[in-house]
Amino acid sequence: MIEIDALRKSYRKSRGLDGFSLHLESNELVGLVGPNGAGKTTLIKTLATLLPADSGSVRVSGHDVSVDPTAVRASLGYLPDVAGIYQDMRIGEFLEFFADAFRLKEPQRTAAIERALERAGLADRRNDFVEHLSLGWKQRLLLSKILLHEPKLLLLDEPATGLDPLARIQLREQLKRLHAEGVAILISSHILSDLEDICTRIIFIAEGKNVQEAQTAAFAAGVRASAVRCELEFEGPKDAVDGAIAGFAGAHILERKEGFLLIELTGSSQDASAFLRTLLAAGITILHFDARGPGLEERYRRAFGEHIR
Amino acid sequence: MRRYVTNPMIIKELRQRLRERRSWLLPTLYLIVLSGIVVCVYYFSTDTGRRLRGAEVQGADIGQAIFLAVVFTQIIVLLLMGPVFSSGAITIEREQRTLAGLLTSLLTAPQIWWGKFVAALLYLLLLLASAIPLLALPFAFGGVEPLDLVKALGSTILTLASICTIGLWCSATFRRSVHATASCYAIVLVLTIVTAIAFGMIYAHWQQSHPGASGPPAHIQAPLFLNPLYPLLTLIDDGDFRFFVYPVSSWLMFAGVGCLAAALAMRRLQRSGEQL
Repeated sequence: MIEIDALRKSYRKSRGLDGFSLHLESNELVGLVGPNGAGKTTLIKTLATLLPADSGSVRVSGHDVSVDPTAVRASLGYLPDVAGIYQDMRIGEFLEFFADAFRLKEPQRTAAIERALERAGLADRRNDFVEHLSLGWKQRLLLSKILLHEPKLLLLDEPATGLDPLARIQLREQLKRLHAEGVAILISSHILSDLEDICTRIIFIAEGKNVQEAQTAAFAAGVRASAVRCELEFEGPKDAVDGAIAGFAGAHILERKEGFLLIELTGSSQDASAFLRTLLAAGITILHFDARGPGLEERYRRAFGEHIR
Repeated sequence: MRRYVTNPMIIKELRQRLRERRSWLLPTLYLIVLSGIVVCVYYFSTDTGRRLRGAEVQGADIGQAIFLAVVFTQIIVLLLMGPVFSSGAITIEREQRTLAGLLTSLLTAPQIWWGKFVAALLYLLLLLASAIPLLALPFAFGGVEPLDLVKALGSTILTLASICTIGLWCSATFRRSVHATASCYAIVLVLTIVTAIAFGMIYAHWQQSHPGASGPPAHIQAPLFLNPLYPLLTLIDDGDFRFFVYPVSSWLMFAGVGCLAAALAMRRLQRSGEQL
């Protein structure tokens, strides 16, 4: 669905993207995480055909973004970080305008508008002016608007910004539903708990680079159903720990720091217990062992600690 | 071609414009101003004429005076309104953060531009059309040919279309409406005042070197070809104005400027994703 290779984009005084790469399959809901200025919005704008890349290749639904932007636009729905809305239009008129802007012909046009109204929960308010909607309803209307032409890919830049908790929950549910319907989604957000709840994969980005690629899979949040991640803090000889891990089938180190290891085990929580017993049997002093692994917030802190400071 | 005629932008723009309070307020004020001008010119023509000549004033003189007064007041008022309707057209989308939605739809930059242009021009044409009865009034007095009316309306429409394209170029170039509108007014001012001053200086210099000449030739009048009032001056067949006989040159200049501004605006619009 998305194929990005070594994408670079510079502004006059700063670098937006610096060799970023990403491959997103059609059944994925991928979160894009990084500090402010990391390049998330630049990446999404480039995919949405709003920004030309300096170098690298960007393909969406098999179409090169720079060669065939119209085909790319036809295949995606884009919601910017601060999405504007025509306040002085009626809800129905707003959707009719964008149905025409996406060249929908009758009877698909009427059907798409009705579907969008249903999806937004605004079917009985189509004659109301947009300005009378709350922020949450406006966001739902905008999301329905970008789905009018039934895109196979959604690019959402901070869609939950400014929404109240209930609206955020509704947005999450809507995104889950769309993902279940087969729509691929790339979503950028600072609300990590939301991403953790809905995403199949998280991409960490910093200074325009793909941190995940740069630092192996240690920062990937995708958890395979048959794998367990274990945080281990220990005292004692490093060789003994390495030997124990090497001797345990299906265990490999994702991240290593002084006195700390993040380990992925193939198997279930029973295998994690067996692994802990192996470590103890090897005479290693265990200070902390957590088979749940670090949450997204913790991984974010580790990945971007220097940026946060 | 059909895509440009059935452009959803035109419907959207007209819908939004006609919902504004100014959509009925401006035509009302516009007609009040023009009517006031007609009344003033009528009384001034008859009263002054009577006092100066001590005889009855010819109907043709009144007709011509009213016609020229309405035509010139109209273009001046519309030149002031043109930038208001055109130079904010794209910047408002940027300021309201709605431009990204347009640029990522299947609307092309020329379609977006065309929708904005037609909507801005149509509103000015609405004002122009509303004043046609006042422009037709001189026919009751005589002294004005229907062709004069057609030429005056045609020239005004062409000039306004060019001003709208300049306004849209300013709108596509600047980020904020206030800057775009100020720039557009500055350009209108240059076209109206600076060209007249330039002509005055060149003509004065030319007259010194050609003391016996009857009137300025085309190349001396050239700076005025870009003056929005020049095509209307060619309607006056009296005094020094009778030498202004090149309306076609002026029309071509305005058409050229309009095409250039349109091309630049569309190019700018295509690249405006970077400004979002």
